[in-house]
Amino acid sequence: MPAAIETETLTRRFKRHLAVDSVSLTVPDQAVYGFLGRNGAGKTTTLKMLLGLIRPSSGKARICGIDVSVDRLAAARKVGALLEAHGFYGNLSGAENLDLTRNLMGLRRSEIERVLEVVEMSDHARRRVSDYSLGMRQRLGLARAMLGAPPVLILDEPTNGLDPDGIADMRRFLGELPARTGATVLLSSHLLGEIEQTATHIGIVHQGRLVLEGELARLKADLAPEIAVETDDPVRAEALAKARGFAVTRGAERIVAGLRPGEDARAAAAALNRALVKADITVFAIGQQARTLEGIYRGVSGPPATQPLMQPELV
Amino acid sequence: MSVAAFFAPLAVETRKLNRSLAALLAIAAPTLIAVFVFFNMLRTKAPSAWDMWMSGGSAIWAYFMLPMSVTALTALVAHMEHGPKSWDYLRALPLPRWRLYAAKGVCVLAVVALMSAMVLVMVWGAVTLAAMIKPQLQPTGAFDLAGYVQIMGLMLLAGLLMIAIQLWTALRFASFVPGLVLGIGGTFFAVVATSAKQGVFLPWQMPVNMLASEPWRVGTALGLGGGLGVVALILMIVHLSRREVV
Repeated sequence: MPAAIETETLTRRFKRHLAVDSVSLTVPDQAVYGFLGRNGAGKTTTLKMLLGLIRPSSGKARICGIDVSVDRLAAARKVGALLEAHGFYGNLSGAENLDLTRNLMGLRRSEIERVLEVVEMSDHARRRVSDYSLGMRQRLGLARAMLGAPPVLILDEPTNGLDPDGIADMRRFLGELPARTGATVLLSSHLLGEIEQTATHIGIVHQGRLVLEGELARLKADLAPEIAVETDDPVRAEALAKARGFAVTRGAERIVAGLRPGEDARAAAAALNRALVKADITVFAIGQQARTLEGIYRGVSGPPATQPLMQPELV
Repeated sequence: MSVAAFFAPLAVETRKLNRSLAALLAIAAPTLIAVFVFFNMLRTKAPSAWDMWMSGGSAIWAYFMLPMSVTALTALVAHMEHGPKSWDYLRALPLPRWRLYAAKGVCVLAVVALMSAMVLVMVWGAVTLAAMIKPQLQPTGAFDLAGYVQIMGLMLLAGLLMIAIQLWTALRFASFVPGLVLGIGGTFFAVVATSAKQGVFLPWQMPVNMLASEPWRVGTALGLGGGLGVVALILMIVHLSRREVV
């Protein structure tokens, strides 16, 4: 069975600017794939190539095994999309907007009721879209993407502009989507928290290149927590920690000891603390620090740029 | 593919006009001509022929209101997609893109045809109403419906090139400005170059040349406006459906 989405050295150049550089990503069937990167990293350009909206300079993009450049219409039948702009007609109601797309796709009228129920918008379907809140428009956008029950959903920044309640709502929807619809979801975002809580797989794109890809749980397991120690003698502390089997990185006044997967962080920190004190090494502070998605991101993309990757506090 | 599926984009375009500014414009422009004819007739002292009122209405339409209406209509119809940025959604759908643009073209042509018909109906209504208020102004002569319809049809045909240019510009550029500048500029030069021989080659002046007394003007405007208009519409559909919207 082919991957739901697959790209092969996908590249797009705009005059001198290389927007997407040899991106080869694989989105397994029924995954929620978080496509991460700063604004301008190349996410939207990649998604537009997947949707056949712009042509790749080189490389291939496949949806359910169908090459988008070779048979755009067949590939398009497999995809529903929610893009950054809603693209709704404010003079029409939500149901009327959906009916336009339904009509163009040649689907049955019952599809409208079905997708409205999935996004819990049936009660608001007769209102004009110009009266909708941003969250309602996003839900309606999701409903439109699901018309015809496509096996693949491509969602570009679906929580953009939403308030905390809206973000929580949308996150719940996204997390439930594969179970409710059986669809594979490619979710682009620059919000680490959003991806961390909804995605089963991630791909990180940085300056147009895919720098990391994998199953999120496995990546996190491979990257167990660390113990940070502030000390007056980091050189001896490093040697001692290494002798006890820790992978250690040393700073000016601190060391960071990486734990092995499955190791009890509290017990390991207590044991290390005892050993350091016993060796007459002053410990100013010791504590566990979790490896977050942001940590993973920093590891592959370097320090924050002027446009930070956001890790908001969400409800 | 079923006939319904083939014509679905056209049906969708028509439904988008529901409660839209473009629909309002389509009603407002003919109404303004009718209002003008109504008050103009009321201020006269003696009755005039039907031909005078109907031709007068057609002349205002072709000379000024048609080019300006086409400018505004194409801008509004295009802005329905540019405004909410719905091109990406439409172009990502599993249907050939040329059908989307062809539907836009057919829809605009249909609205302009409808407006032309409304000009006739509303001018007739305005004259009839004015004659009811002032019976002594009851129009004289025959009401040559076939002749009026023919003139309006020829104006529409001669206006094809102007409509194609305006629609192409409006769909190509997300901003209102290029289409408006082109339309206002074209109408301005069409008005100031009314008596100039070269004016007949100006797309915005071609419709009004259907009222010209010299046959070469009528033939030239009709041939160029209609012939090149069809070519321009086809080129527009090909260009826009192949173009990337980044």
